[in-house]
Amino acid sequence: MQVTFKIWRQEGPNDKGAIKAYEVNGLTEDMSFLEALDHLNELLVLKDEKVIAYEYDCREGICGQCGVFINGRAHGPHDNMTTCQLHMRSFKDGDTIVVEPWRAASFPVLKDLIVDRSAFDRIIEQGAFISAKTGTAPEANAIPIPKEVSDRAMDAAACIGCGACVATCKNSSAALFTSAKINHLNGLPQGRTEEHKRVAEMTYQMEIEGFGSCTFTGACEVECPEGISIINIAEMNARVAKSKVFG
Amino acid sequence: MALNQLFFRKTVIAGTGLFLCIFLVVHLSANCILLLPEETARGLYNSYSTTLRESPLIKLVAYLLYLSIILHVIYALLITLRNRKASPQKYVMNNSKENSTWTSQNMGLIGTMILLFIVVHLANFWARIKLGMGEAVNLDAAGHVDVYEVTSALFHNIYYVIFYTVLAIPLALHLHHGFKSAFKTLGFYHKKGLRIVAKIALVYAIIMGVGFGIIPFIVYFK
Ligand code: SF4
Ligand code: FES
Repeated sequence: MQVTFKIWRQEGPNDKGAIKAYEVNGLTEDMSFLEALDHLNELLVLKDEKVIAYEYDCREGICGQCGVFINGRAHGPHDNMTTCQLHMRSFKDGDTIVVEPWRAASFPVLKDLIVDRSAFDRIIEQGAFISAKTGTAPEANAIPIPKEVSDRAMDAAACIGCGACVATCKNSSAALFTSAKINHLNGLPQGRTEEHKRVAEMTYQMEIEGFGSCTFTGACEVECPEGISIINIAEMNARVAKSKVFG
Repeated sequence: MALNQLFFRKTVIAGTGLFLCIFLVVHLSANCILLLPEETARGLYNSYSTTLRESPLIKLVAYLLYLSIILHVIYALLITLRNRKASPQKYVMNNSKENSTWTSQNMGLIGTMILLFIVVHLANFWARIKLGMGEAVNLDAAGHVDVYEVTSALFHNIYYVIFYTVLAIPLALHLHHGFKSAFKTLGFYHKKGLRIVAKIALVYAIIMGVGFGIIPFIVYFK
């Protein structure tokens, strides 16, 4: 299988950057997308050219490191999937594949396809944790939590912090990410003691990091590899209002 | 500490938007009078508009209405500017149509078209009837200002008919996205409820779009 990669190359944060085309032969359909990039990098090494910088860790869809924009979509052509779970069988022989880094003012490009997502970490630092000592794992039924409540919290907790929601959003809004973190903790009794503070501080951080505001295009929930529902954002809005009144 | 501009601005847009949605229902109901036979329509339409103009309560609502439109526009502009700043560099290739509707991606553009419409619309009616600009408006047999005549004359000009009808399309699109988003912005997060809201939004947008779009045509051929 042969494809033409058009890949964003950028030396460093202050470099202008540009798309560069690479024709790559010898790919197979069962290769993952990242393996195809690895293959391209090996070819570049042989030619004594600089390899393409991109991020990954687990390569099994759980760490959230591998986000890139592929053919105009976050994590490639499929809904709800990470880049590492994408395979070359999703493309045809002879295809041109455009690969770009996440684009958002709050996610500056560090090199090639790698962006700095520490804005997310700073949002997390503001309260996406429970400050009480929890000790060892308690007996599972010591705190009765209705199934729907725990399901909702678990669904929100699935967010892997990949940044696809921001990347695909025309407003570069981090609302899906932040709402997932807030609803995960605020929905459970352990998180409730600090609920208003958490909402106020995390959303404040989201704002000063320079993310845009959500206008409900719905693109995020389609591209989110964890299928985090956009209803989380509506719930966060309710929590913000509640924290203003009771917080 | 917390300024929460992101939320405050969206709340204003959603709140004023929903208020304007209610206003449109009242407006369209009044427009339906135009569909009645000529003389009945003239009498009813003129007495209705006179009642509106003379009621102090309606005056208050009218000011609320102007304020809503202005706030809606200003805050939409502020949000757009901030959101542009948040995403300064566009993708070389962006397939947003695969994950969202064209309408949701272009609410600003669509809104600007509606604003243009409102300016023309106000110049056509409000400026003439309330500000007395342009040609003076006659009184009808009952002594009411003949707003019907102004409307009917306007809708016998094919260019205006086309303008009013074509701009009902962005109106419908804007209402469809705006109506359902407003609920989410205001913190309504009931899953089934939101599905119902989405259905209502669709029906509402179609009724408003078709209603406002078709009445000028019917008047033209009357
Ligand atoms: S909400 Fe989804 S798209 Fe956004 S960071 Fe979390 S996992 Fe990624
Ligand atoms: S590499 Fe871990 S999610 Fe893709």
